Amino acid sequence: MATSELYLCAYSTLSQKQHDRDNQVMMPDSVVDDVLLSVKNISLSFGGVKALENISFDIRKGEIRAIIGPNGAGKSSMLNVINGFYHPQDGEVWFKGIRRNNLKPHQIARQGISRTFQNIALFKGMTTLDNLMTGRITRMNTNMFWQAIWYGRAERQEIEHRERIEQIIDFLKIQSIRKTPVGRLPYGLQKRVELGRALAADADLLLLDEPMAGMNIEEKEDMCRYVLDVNEQFGTTIALIEHDMGVVMDIADRVVVLDYGRKIGDGVPDEIRNNQTVIDAYLGVSHD
Amino acid sequence: MFYREAGEFKTSYPADQQIFPIALDRLGVKIVLVFAFLVVPFIIDDYWEKSVLMPFLVWSMAALGLNILIGYCGQLSLGTGGFMAVGAYAAYKLMTAFPDLNIFFVIILAGGVTALVGILFGLPSLRIKGFYLAVATLAAQFFLVWMFNKFPWFYNHSASGQITAPERFIFGVAITGPEAPPWATYLFCLTIVVLFAFVAKNLTRSVIGRSWMAIRDMDIAAEIIGVPPLKAKLTAFAVSSFYIGVAGAMFFAVYLGAAEPTEAFGIEKSFLVLFMIIIGGLGSIVGSFIGAAFIISLPVLLKNIMVGGLGWPTDIVQHLIFMLIGGLIVFFLIVEPHGLAQLWRITKEKLRLWPFPH
Ligand SMILES: Nc1ncnc2c1ncn2[C@@H]1O[C@H](COP(=O)(O)OP(=O)(O)OP(=O)(O)O)[C@@H](O)[C@H]1O
Ligand SMILES: [Mg+2]
Repeated sequence: MATSELYLCAYSTLSQKQHDRDNQVMMPDSVVDDVLLSVKNISLSFGGVKALENISFDIRKGEIRAIIGPNGAGKSSMLNVINGFYHPQDGEVWFKGIRRNNLKPHQIARQGISRTFQNIALFKGMTTLDNLMTGRITRMNTNMFWQAIWYGRAERQEIEHRERIEQIIDFLKIQSIRKTPVGRLPYGLQKRVELGRALAADADLLLLDEPMAGMNIEEKEDMCRYVLDVNEQFGTTIALIEHDMGVVMDIADRVVVLDYGRKIGDGVPDEIRNNQTVIDAYLGVSHD
Repeated sequence: MFYREAGEFKTSYPADQQIFPIALDRLGVKIVLVFAFLVVPFIIDDYWEKSVLMPFLVWSMAALGLNILIGYCGQLSLGTGGFMAVGAYAAYKLMTAFPDLNIFFVIILAGGVTALVGILFGLPSLRIKGFYLAVATLAAQFFLVWMFNKFPWFYNHSASGQITAPERFIFGVAITGPEAPPWATYLFCLTIVVLFAFVAKNLTRSVIGRSWMAIRDMDIAAEIIGVPPLKAKLTAFAVSSFYIGVAGAMFFAVYLGAAEPTEAFGIEKSFLVLFMIIIGGLGSIVGSFIGAAFIISLPVLLKNIMVGGLGWPTDIVQHLIFMLIGGLIVFFLIVEPHGLAQLWRITKEKLRLWPFPH
């Protein structure tokens, strides 16, 4: 559980939007339970390279939390820590109010964290449908024997989950590429399928590593729309890495800024926009 | 316009998730099965059994197994011969220790034993990949053959060092032993192979099969989205070895009748099966059959034409066949890594449009 001090400070910086949402969905004084994930004093290094130094922040239920920073700042490493692919030398990860022990990535996925990758990591030889069905693996479970004869629970399960996957396919408007091997799809569509695969898990926390990188304006707008819709319609909490400041300032509820592995800013978009350290370290240096 | 898939609309997910969603495929499979089960047994003779049909069935089974491991799960193995030997020796020990045990269960249990051995030799795959894993399985190949030569317990201390299958019956008809009629051995193996081909098809289209393919295509991403790599890899080794063990058991007990490890289960058998799945198509169930049929029937066909028809010397024809198969493997590796199954798929796509290409 987050210390009350930490939470108070986070609460005082909530945006108006966040306030509204809190008032709608829960009692204002239940906000302590409102933290979905928090990282505390995370330090991670590779040999001599310090990728993350003493990083703490939290992600609240239902929000879009952006993580920004210049290249090599440690953003992707942070996501890798959150889903257990990297093990920090120091620090704690709390998820759903429980301190997490050393779990394997696939166990963490089962707890309700799913993600997309900076460089598309789809299963290239499989169809869109199979990629999405694989994304749902954390919710499927059948004895191999029944799968072998395709009968009873195994068959029922395939059909039941296929229905949910079809909803996601409709949502992302990828019906026409259902049976296409994803390796044959253009880049923008692959990014969308990858989002679909992450959505398929119906996870509580969705980590998106630069979902709009390399896209043209139209594709970016579509992707923004999907991210906002996922957040609003499914109520999914989202942690988003993105370089496009316009996008970040538009859709994020709160922003954490990393630079050379250190946290140099944390707050609502307006605060970040006006934070001198952030401007110096990031906004002033690279605009894109 | 002969072959249609686009024109067929599925109105429910169960219909779309049938084992063969396309009506023409379903018809094709039914025709092949009816022919194989109801026609062939009446026309089969000794020559067809020994030189074409039985080898085809045995090697199809082995190719199915190896394809699950390499084609679906992406774990390279050169231990096929060794695992077939495990199946064969397990069958032999079971037949001699439990004379009353039905031969069908002997074969299945032999597969089970091989699955356990497969898991054991699959353990390194949790740490090593690709080329290094191939070397580890190569070590398994040599170790297993050495082991079956070395310890007389495995061949019941027979003077020749060979294992010989005793006669076993199903419904009073001999399945093993020299008296077994061709139609009976054929039907017995056909039943097993067809049964497990459907099992393989089912496995590869459910949760477990998708985890295998996910590990094959991108193992790190697979683990991060929730595929347990340990379970996926070890089940692939287990299932694959089961198939290969069953193939080895049928090869020894039903087809050969007697075997000696170095000759019957050497490294060239590992390569033979590997070639089958490369030519047939990696990651394709039907490809396993196509590959086995191709590699089994090509030499028979060419020998009949060149030696029988044209009167060429046998040894030259033998070498020509080697060269041809080698050339084909290079061709498929470079031009069409998905093998004949993919060419077949492309043909079907063309046929769908024919005669109007647009
Ligand atoms: N597996 C690894 N081994 C060694 N160094 C690594 C590894 N992963 C990350 N690093 C280093 O950690 C630092 C942070 O990298 P990270 O990928 O987290 O940056 P990033 O903020 O995501 O950058 P970008 O915007 O370019 O994606 C870099 O210096 C990188 O070289
Ligand atoms: Mg990154």
